[in-house]
Amino acid sequence: MSDTPEDGMPNVPLDGGNFGSLPSSTSTTIQALKNTVLKSHGRPPWYGQDGEPITDAFVIGVAGGSASGKTHVARQIVRSLGSIPTVVILSQDSFYKRHTPEEVALAMDNKIDFDHPDALDMPMFAQCLVDLKKCRQTNVPVYSFTEHQRLDETQYLYGAAIIIAEGIMALHDPALRAVYDLKIFVQCDSDLMLARRIRRDVKERGRSVEGVLDQYLRYVKPAYDNFVLPTSRYADIIVPGSDNHVAIELISTHIRRQLRERARHFRPNMVPRRPNDAPVPTETSSNSKEQRHHNLILLPQTAQLKGIYTILRDETTAKQDFIFFVDRLATLLIEAAVELLPFRPKSVETPCGVEAPGKELEAHCVCGVTIQRSGGPLERGLQRVINDVLLGSLLVQTDPATSEPLLLHVMLPKCVRDRGKAKDTWVFLLDAQIGTAASAFMAIRVLLDHGVLQDHIVFVTFLVADDGGVSTLRRAFPEVRIVTGAIDAHLRECWIEDATDENDIHRRKVWVIEPGMGQIGDRYYL
Amino acid sequence: MATVNAPTSQTSPASVPPSVFTLPQTAQLEALYTIIRDKDTPRGEFLFYSDRIIRLLVEEGLNHLPVVPKTVTTPTGATYEGVGFEGKICGVSILRAGEAMEAGLREVCRSVRIGKILIQRDEETAQPKLFYSKFPQDIASRYVLLLDPMLATGGSAIKAVDVLKEQGVPEERIIFINLISSPEGLKNFCTKFPQTRVITGWIDKGLNEKAYIIPGLGDFGERR
Repeated sequence: MSDTPEDGMPNVPLDGGNFGSLPSSTSTTIQALKNTVLKSHGRPPWYGQDGEPITDAFVIGVAGGSASGKTHVARQIVRSLGSIPTVVILSQDSFYKRHTPEEVALAMDNKIDFDHPDALDMPMFAQCLVDLKKCRQTNVPVYSFTEHQRLDETQYLYGAAIIIAEGIMALHDPALRAVYDLKIFVQCDSDLMLARRIRRDVKERGRSVEGVLDQYLRYVKPAYDNFVLPTSRYADIIVPGSDNHVAIELISTHIRRQLRERARHFRPNMVPRRPNDAPVPTETSSNSKEQRHHNLILLPQTAQLKGIYTILRDETTAKQDFIFFVDRLATLLIEAAVELLPFRPKSVETPCGVEAPGKELEAHCVCGVTIQRSGGPLERGLQRVINDVLLGSLLVQTDPATSEPLLLHVMLPKCVRDRGKAKDTWVFLLDAQIGTAASAFMAIRVLLDHGVLQDHIVFVTFLVADDGGVSTLRRAFPEVRIVTGAIDAHLRECWIEDATDENDIHRRKVWVIEPGMGQIGDRYYL
Repeated sequence: MATVNAPTSQTSPASVPPSVFTLPQTAQLEALYTIIRDKDTPRGEFLFYSDRIIRLLVEEGLNHLPVVPKTVTTPTGATYEGVGFEGKICGVSILRAGEAMEAGLREVCRSVRIGKILIQRDEETAQPKLFYSKFPQDIASRYVLLLDPMLATGGSAIKAVDVLKEQGVPEERIIFINLISSPEGLKNFCTKFPQTRVITGWIDKGLNEKAYIIPGLGDFGERR
């Protein structure tokens, strides 16, 4: 039997923050949570103003014998790091190979050596870690210990700043070792490990002492001596399996310093928080026709379009009219956006029995991704134009303290989550307006991280501020097309007040487009 | 700066009368027509995609209505020099197929008034004959969007405009909207009413011996 199988318990992500409340005794927590995603307050920008990621995720490998306390060490490190963006703890258990029916039968009989390196799908383990390190999404296989088989479902992971891979073979494969920024080996006395194992298996899994010892002598002990212990020489640091507060303090100090140095090194390259921080554009003026033509598409300024905008801009427009004309405008914008999709010739037979030459869409998957909340008003238009369209959403909010955008939630359609399909997927990215372009920038980066091609992204929006972040955005992502119905002249800083009650008035700084349409999300929803 | 298909209405070929406007003939539009022409397209899809074309046609038709300058104050306190819609409109659908276009019309023009006309071929004279009509009382003061999905010979559309003119609607205040038209039908209609604008999505090859549009899409009313 393997290191710490979770009998009957699938590896589900557990939303976190509450790991501090878990009992710290290794013997009781070790099997509780395996692949774990711990989220905090949101993810600040991880890319520069050229649109490229500025830093890889920090990857830590934790190896050690079975019941040596690897998971405990991983959790203690996370705890002592304090407030950091998302952390993923990835268990090697997920990477057991897919078995033939014969192998499954053997496994049920306890006759497969799960403590051997060959039991693991090392190339896939390494690929998942490389993807996470490069800030790409990954789909981790799910292994069921009740069925002794890899399941067809996978666990989607994206956006972690720190990844901890733990398992007895975590330092075994050279491909894995090449990925780690820090390699840890948890050293524990064999007697202690055996004692912990007996207590755990007897108490929690109802095994007999006899059975536990049999398995230990047959698989666990030889594996430890032959494959696990020798990998300790690759470790950057060897941590004792108990009473290891000092070691953990040293490790987290090291990680914190590493992260800080990366941040300091890259800070000057960060996306400008305010439009006037943007460097002077290299083109002679932001109105340069050449820069404009291929990736900023303005709807024909027809009489009806101007009339619709006049109604939407009017502060006296009633809510029901606002909603109606927003839906109508969204439909027009999406109709223009879908014209950018590729088509191929197709001939059909009409009911009159005549052959008619025509065209059909040439795209594997077309979906929409809404930037919440203000992208929502464009969804109706998308649904009117694309039948049963797949919709995902991203929640991006501005951090009041730093004015930086924070990525709070990622819910993408299946065809984007799967890297193989993402490259053939067209995405309509929806947001009410492009002002500072901070959230647009972040949303496009998220899609590129997932493998969506730049020229398969169409950003659809009601308004663009000419002197806002749109020029930086278009320089960074020249192949992304932006479809809008109006380009306004100015972006202006202002304060809006959220009165939660009479005495408690929060003021927050926002950028408004002028003349603009006001807060489109508020006018549509509230 | 790029605009989508720069001219609002694609300038039609020389042989087409000047009062006829087609939608911009994009690949996207061609794909929509391919779906609704296909005899194997299921009804649900036929509805969805024909509604899309109807919305585009109505949007195009509305662009031929007048607007007046209008200045508004935005929620940010800025003033905006825009335009306001001028003149009242109503829809008139030629039964039965024209009714199928009403939903699309109402998605663009909320709660618009809709009149109806039933015209059928008189078996004795073989001429189109008015069987029934019901209009808003003040139709003479409105712009009329006349709805009929297919313009084949033009017989019923011509009859419908005759009826509207009797009601006091001037020819130039009528905008006739259809999805597919035949060159013969356009010629007949526009010769009779040169002032009425025709908005059509696609001009097909012609008519067969039964006066069906070829390649066409079959009986629009029946497929809905």
